[in-house]
Amino acid sequence: MLQFIQYLKGYVCIRVWGYSPERFMNLCSNHDILLWNIENCGEYYTMCITVGGFRKLKGIVKKTGTKVAIQKRCGLPFFVPKMKRRKIFLIGLIGSLAFWMWMSTFIWAVDISGNYSISEDIFMDFLRENDIYVGMKRNKLNIEELEKRIRQDFGIVTWTSAKIDGTRLEIQIRENEVEMSTEREGEEEKGETQEEFGKNPYGSDLVAEEDGVIVSMVTRKGVPQVGVGTEVKKGDILVSGSVPVYNEDSTVKFYQYYDADADVFIRRQLRQREELPLHYEKKEYTGEEKKEVVLAVMDKDFILRLGKIKYENFDTVTDKKQVKLLKNFYLPLYYGNSVNREYIVTDNIYTKEEVKIIFSEKLIKYIASLEEKGVQIIKKNVTINKGQKSWQMDMDFQVVEKTGKNIAAFPKIEAEETEAGQENLDGLDTETD
Amino acid sequence: MMKNRKLTGKQKLERRKEIIVESLKLPKDSMLGASIVTVTGNKDAFVENYKGILEYSPEAIVLQGKTCQISIIGKRMSIDYYTNEDMKITGCIECVRYHNG
Repeated sequence: MLQFIQYLKGYVCIRVWGYSPERFMNLCSNHDILLWNIENCGEYYTMCITVGGFRKLKGIVKKTGTKVAIQKRCGLPFFVPKMKRRKIFLIGLIGSLAFWMWMSTFIWAVDISGNYSISEDIFMDFLRENDIYVGMKRNKLNIEELEKRIRQDFGIVTWTSAKIDGTRLEIQIRENEVEMSTEREGEEEKGETQEEFGKNPYGSDLVAEEDGVIVSMVTRKGVPQVGVGTEVKKGDILVSGSVPVYNEDSTVKFYQYYDADADVFIRRQLRQREELPLHYEKKEYTGEEKKEVVLAVMDKDFILRLGKIKYENFDTVTDKKQVKLLKNFYLPLYYGNSVNREYIVTDNIYTKEEVKIIFSEKLIKYIASLEEKGVQIIKKNVTINKGQKSWQMDMDFQVVEKTGKNIAAFPKIEAEETEAGQENLDGLDTETD
Repeated sequence: MMKNRKLTGKQKLERRKEIIVESLKLPKDSMLGASIVTVTGNKDAFVENYKGILEYSPEAIVLQGKTCQISIIGKRMSIDYYTNEDMKITGCIECVRYHNG
């Protein structure tokens, strides 16, 4: 702070030599002239003195028999007249300041963190749809609205926070865990279907989704139409949602309609075939590579390279970094380098061992996907054959899986019901009689 | 003999002054003109209540106090600032010595 005041007021660095510099200093202090940074340089002393103080030195110098010479002039009073002479520099300085201030009113970088299942590209597309892009005005961005839209459009996002840090828009999201989300989706679907069936006054039946033999069955709502050991075909009714209410003489009085609900497990055959071509193309890098410098402004890339790329096939790997001033002032400029690696495409034939490895990997993945769905594998039979054009893997599984789909029921027994109702009414009449 | 008596008289006066200042709990620096030397570590020294500089070299700075001389001896000694009230000395201080008279 003191230095800043001294800079504003202006000061001079002087050199003092002669008969008695110590006396010179003492007289200065007696005359209330501030001296600082006093250094003994052998034959002479150097020190800093205020501009006002320097003007009072004449008498002191005479008294003490010393000589004083100015070494350096510092501070604003000396800087301003110098600047007045350098008009173009001053205009440039003010212009650049104004330019940076104007640049800081835009958003030059968007950072997304916390996204696992939503890819960055999808998120950027979403932002573009909502008119949020790199290069937009900062004051046009409504952060609260953006947060709201993220939560609305991505059901998986449970929490979101957006903030502007310098010229960077920082979005942090938290996703729901995948399993929980699928459960929720399942619940939602279930809810929807139930709602849909709720609209149907005649309830719904549970229908088989695949052919197979029933191994276990637990009914919660409805009348089971099949039992354990029954062979069912796709579309067969497993549990009926129409529950009959009987009269005393075991005739149907009327039906109560529900949405059938049961856990039905069936055993069935599952066949799957995987194919692999006999030949495959393989990239072999030759080790030849050409480096180039990439400069980019906004979306435009400028590539600086010596000579041309003479490779027939090559991969390009680019690594770009954004230019920033200080910590958070991101600019729409990028720099980096990219490497072009040459490769040759060779035509190879799979060996039996390679085929085995590839197929076994596929098999493991397939089994894992089945287990994820809750399918239990009882038996499996896998054969690998070589055909004329490709390798084939036939997978033959015997699985136990849950089945059952709710389908809206039709009131096909309505006539019986009304008849029964009428009979019932008649009966009642007779009784009252 | 006379000179000795005079000196003892001056000393007696000083002593009386000290007793009065102490008993009235007055600040010694302003009443007796005692210099205040504050040394921070062995790098910085603040000095108040002095008359002026007698000698200034990178090895020693000798100050004239109101009652005695103060020598601050060390290496690479320099004066950070110097006013009528106080001064700051920086450098590698090795010794602070008082000379009466």
